[in-house]
Amino acid sequence: MEQSGTSTRLQAAVQDLASGVVSALRGGDHAHVVPPAGTDGEAGDLALAAVRVLGADALLPGLLSHTPPDPAELAVFRKAVEAYPPRPDAAPTVRWSHWAMARTLRRADPSSAEPPAEPDTAWLDGATWQVLTHQLAVLAPLALPGEDCAVHRLAQHRPVDVARGFVRAVRRRDWRQAAGAGRWLTLLPGVPDTVGLESGLDFVELMGGQDPLVALQVQAARRMRMGARG
Amino acid sequence: MRTDEKVIQRVTGIQAADIEAALDPVEADGVYRDSRQCAGLALLSGGGKLLLSPPTPRPKKG
Repeated sequence: MEQSGTSTRLQAAVQDLASGVVSALRGGDHAHVVPPAGTDGEAGDLALAAVRVLGADALLPGLLSHTPPDPAELAVFRKAVEAYPPRPDAAPTVRWSHWAMARTLRRADPSSAEPPAEPDTAWLDGATWQVLTHQLAVLAPLALPGEDCAVHRLAQHRPVDVARGFVRAVRRRDWRQAAGAGRWLTLLPGVPDTVGLESGLDFVELMGGQDPLVALQVQAARRMRMGARG
Repeated sequence: MRTDEKVIQRVTGIQAADIEAALDPVEADGVYRDSRQCAGLALLSGGGKLLLSPPTPRPKKG
């Protein structure tokens, strides 16, 4: 499908932002993951939209390392949350993404407004394992240690389905979906050992890791696995 | 549409619909591995524990 110029520029901005997050997760520079609020003009606005698309993962490095975010980063993150609320007819993934950002903002800055009420998970009731895995991969920013939300609880009841979806995504070479599903599997109880998650994540990175959105999920999964091992 | 949203849209052409489309992507079309990649996967899997399955049967010609 042909993409508009706007869509292409937005995707490029999202990839740039994701590259910064990957670098920070790998232990690199964390100073400028989110562009500073003073960035004016189109670049700044595009960056703001990119933060909204990347969602809560824009602040993931600090969240996983338990370090407070840079105030300038936080200001941009807050602006993205406020500038792009979901429209009334928005898809569930859009509403959940915004909820996750509001919740992350509240965690990072307790003086922020309470996040809105959780959206529902009705659209996943009875979802096939293929649909479930695709939707969970889109919502990978919700896959965090200690997270307690309706999507997380739903995923915890379907680890085998997510594992099947992970394998399917690898076989289809859908590296973004595979990486997102792999991140979820890192956290879910009851994942069959036969999935070979660790080797699977290595393979996903090898094949798809040049895409920063794939690398981000793989790095997040690795960081969370390391954290779980203490 | 709120004022700040109008400003952003005027400058960048980015609309809420662009962002929401990015946040609600359709599933990518599947592309299946070729045998070279399968071999790489086999090497990575070590003990054959990973993701390996026989190739999908193909109908015989003729």
